[in-house]
Amino acid sequence: MDAARPLDQSQPLHRPPAGFWLWRSSGTSNGTSDGTRPGYSLLIPKRAVIINSLLILLLLIVVTLSLGSGSVSLSPAEVWQALWHQGPAINQLVVNELRLQRVLAGLTTGAAFALSGCLMQTLSRNRLATPGIIGIDNSATAFAVASVTGTGLSLAPSSMALAGAATACALAFGLTGASGRGGYRFIVAGIGIGAIAGAMTQFMLSRVAIDDANAAFPWTVGSLNARSPEATAALAACLPLALALSLRMTRALQLMQVSDAVSIGLGINLKQVRRNGLILSVLLTGLAVAVAGPVGLVALLGPEVARGLYRHKGVPLVASALCGALIMLAADLTGRLILAPLEIPVGIVTAVVGSPYLLWMLLNPSFKNTP
Amino acid sequence: MNSFNRAIPTEHIHPAVELEARQLVAGHGDKVIIDGLDLNLPTGKITAIVGPNGCGKSTLLNSLARTLKPLGGSILLDGQDIHRLPGRDVARKLALLPQETSAPEGMSVEDLVRFGRQPHQSWLSQWSPDDQRAVKRAIKAADLTGMENRMLEELSGGQRQRAWIAMAVAQDTPSLLLDEPTSALDLGHQLEVFELIRHLSADHGKTIVMVVHDLLSACRFADHLVAMHDGRLITQGAPGQVLTPELVHQLYGVHCDILPDPVTGSPMLINMHRASKNPRQAPAKAPISGDNDE
Amino acid sequence: MTSGQAPRHHWPLRQVFPATALVLLLVCLASLMLGAGDLSPQAALQALFGQSSDEANFIVRELRLPRTLIGFLVGAMLGCAGALMQTLARNPLAEPGLLGVSAGSSFAVTLALMLGASAATLTVHVAQLGALAGCLLVLSAARIQGVGNDPVRLVLAGATLTGLLLSLIWLLLMFDQRSADEIRFWITGSVAGRSLDMALQLMPSLGLAFILTLIIIRPLASLALGERAAQGLGHHPGRIRFIAVVIVALLVGSATAVAGPIIFVGLVVPFIARALAGPDIRRTLWLCLTLGPIIVISADTLSRLLVAPAELPLGVLTALIGAPVLLMVVRSRRLPTL
Repeated sequence: MDAARPLDQSQPLHRPPAGFWLWRSSGTSNGTSDGTRPGYSLLIPKRAVIINSLLILLLLIVVTLSLGSGSVSLSPAEVWQALWHQGPAINQLVVNELRLQRVLAGLTTGAAFALSGCLMQTLSRNRLATPGIIGIDNSATAFAVASVTGTGLSLAPSSMALAGAATACALAFGLTGASGRGGYRFIVAGIGIGAIAGAMTQFMLSRVAIDDANAAFPWTVGSLNARSPEATAALAACLPLALALSLRMTRALQLMQVSDAVSIGLGINLKQVRRNGLILSVLLTGLAVAVAGPVGLVALLGPEVARGLYRHKGVPLVASALCGALIMLAADLTGRLILAPLEIPVGIVTAVVGSPYLLWMLLNPSFKNTP
Repeated sequence: MNSFNRAIPTEHIHPAVELEARQLVAGHGDKVIIDGLDLNLPTGKITAIVGPNGCGKSTLLNSLARTLKPLGGSILLDGQDIHRLPGRDVARKLALLPQETSAPEGMSVEDLVRFGRQPHQSWLSQWSPDDQRAVKRAIKAADLTGMENRMLEELSGGQRQRAWIAMAVAQDTPSLLLDEPTSALDLGHQLEVFELIRHLSADHGKTIVMVVHDLLSACRFADHLVAMHDGRLITQGAPGQVLTPELVHQLYGVHCDILPDPVTGSPMLINMHRASKNPRQAPAKAPISGDNDE
Repeated sequence: MTSGQAPRHHWPLRQVFPATALVLLLVCLASLMLGAGDLSPQAALQALFGQSSDEANFIVRELRLPRTLIGFLVGAMLGCAGALMQTLARNPLAEPGLLGVSAGSSFAVTLALMLGASAATLTVHVAQLGALAGCLLVLSAARIQGVGNDPVRLVLAGATLTGLLLSLIWLLLMFDQRSADEIRFWITGSVAGRSLDMALQLMPSLGLAFILTLIIIRPLASLALGERAAQGLGHHPGRIRFIAVVIVALLVGSATAVAGPIIFVGLVVPFIARALAGPDIRRTLWLCLTLGPIIVISADTLSRLLVAPAELPLGVLTALIGAPVLLMVVRSRRLPTL
């Protein structure tokens, strides 16, 4: 697992990387090593700009479709009019009051799951180590269900889900110790924790009256139907912050992808990066689960797609988040339309689509588990 | 450490079996590694199959042991096609020690050796005094007496390999096939295993065929050397006669001189260097242990 | 269990087996005597020997006895299936529930119910067919290069397959509210409310599984030494494997048809059996016959007592017992090889 990967050869070191300089101030470096002030620069690689713009465009299309479809069908033009509070009142009501919340919830949870997955995969250097697989989703769900069914403390689902996510993560790490990190052992421990949490959820659901159990049902599969506005707001507030913080770690993460030893040699504080990254990842998962329940496969699929777009170079944090949002919205839209008026929970759609992909990954003889 | 020379109650003498390959074509899937090989193995002797990586020596051994079905030609055991014979009948004449062995954790030496009796058991005779005696004899032959109840994972590499050989010995067969029996062992443990093999041949009269990675060990411990290159048989015969600088060059692309060991008389390679002219396609490699070829 | 401890000593089977059989007897008695309802243990004992009121007789003989018997069967079947599967895949984590065999069985049952089947007679064979499909799928996956050597990857694939099948089941249920309620209860796993007729229906399958097991048990044991070694001993690994798969399918299918998917029993039971009697399947299987029922029956008894007068689904309880064992296996310094 510690085998060093060859460094990215596509960009020769003697040539500046292709990209757009957003900001570049030359420092006072004049050859001498002391007394120099490094120049500031913000470089965005060309590929990233192109890919992310395309993703945003796609996202806009899906958002429009999502806002426009349902029992009342609206054209894209009508949707945009309604969004700007123009057009017929009924359209405004449908778009802004009924559908916008759901679309926002899908956008934020998808992005949060995928970003969290990308962080955790990179930190543990294992493509399979996503929050869903290592049981964080299930634990967060169990805690959230506890608060919904009234068996737990009278805390909001959001905070309970956060506590659950943190507990699962601590357990997974505590049980496997530092040696197991990144290894499969960590993942199996997670499967065990997830199974316990799943059983707890079942237990709590089986104890309460049938009405409450129906209310808690979306929690077991993951659905955008049950979102609470407060939870969505909490997630929406944290997401940009988390994205910014994880972007700050990009360089360290990229190095850690190559090898621990190399990153230490280049002066990265591994422990700190790992701890911060993990906290961010757990936070995002917990908040997202509080909104949509366990839709864990998005955390696997989003980064997978993003890495594919980047041809497996670097750590595509932004693209992962965008892909996650895209997948979530598309899955929700599919679930709403395909059997209308019946609605398939988004968790089931992602499972039906994502599981075969995961299986293919796992059963592919040439599968490499490093991201 | 070993005292293989003490008198041991030998098992009943087997009629020797003839094992031969006739126009053998063998390989994995579509990939043909051995194409049309004829080989007759001398009975009652130790035969070592040597050659560079990927020359097909393990393929040959696995074909002989019928764990690899030939793509063409046949393997004959006492004149009969080995794949036409019932598996159990073959297992009473031919024991095999695979290259990579792994036993479940928590298995004792005796547990392992008992497996060797399976070809002799049936629904009606589950475990007979004969079986018990054979197990005891095999453990004694491998000099593991007193360790019967030790767990395999507690043993040293050499002891563990001896336990596996003991399993094959308990099978009570006239011939024994070993696929790189010393591949993962250090020098001392290698000697331990080779001495056991020699003892099995000398005192038990077994026909032994082994794939050996290390040319010099092969020369020292085998009576008969089979040299292979590129899926073909290059030469065979007594090591002292067959091993020449030309052969070494042909096999490994290495120039050397050969001297007899002043003590044992077995050949030694000295003054080795890579051939500068006429290099082979595959890079020559000094024989190292722990490497496996297809 | 970590390796590198002082020499471990396994107990001889002729000591362990009677001991576990005794425990099983006690557990069975406890399961007959304890439960929700205001029947005292003494009264239950009397009812068992036919000297009590009609009501007590009814509770003990009609409600609890079938339940205990079915628990016995299910436990033994799942325990043995787990042990066989672990030997087959040479993987201590291979478990019919974890690897998607039970889920395959559930999926087949759901499909059959959706297509209009309602008779209980059908479900046993349908469940067995589903288990066979799941089993073949998983074990062919285990033979893919790289997956087989990696115990955990196989488990992960199994967990994914289970997730996929469960999602498909939910999807199917959305079409049919009628079967949904029936299945939602069944799918959490329980041995409650099953009739003895159901157990009788299983008998042919169990007899077949028993005979097949007797035939292949010795070659199967040698498979633990590796494919080549088994061949060297004169066996045909392919044939043995296929027969063993059929046995696992028979067992898991029967158990699932009766009690719904109960996971982790097939993991826990062989794990304890191996710790007691060593890795040889010829010994572990005997112990699975007693340990499996012990676990299922005591879990079932607990499920009646913990939240009385309601009941905890059995599947939930076995997951709570089993997952820590899974963690324990993983925690050991290296995964034990099988």
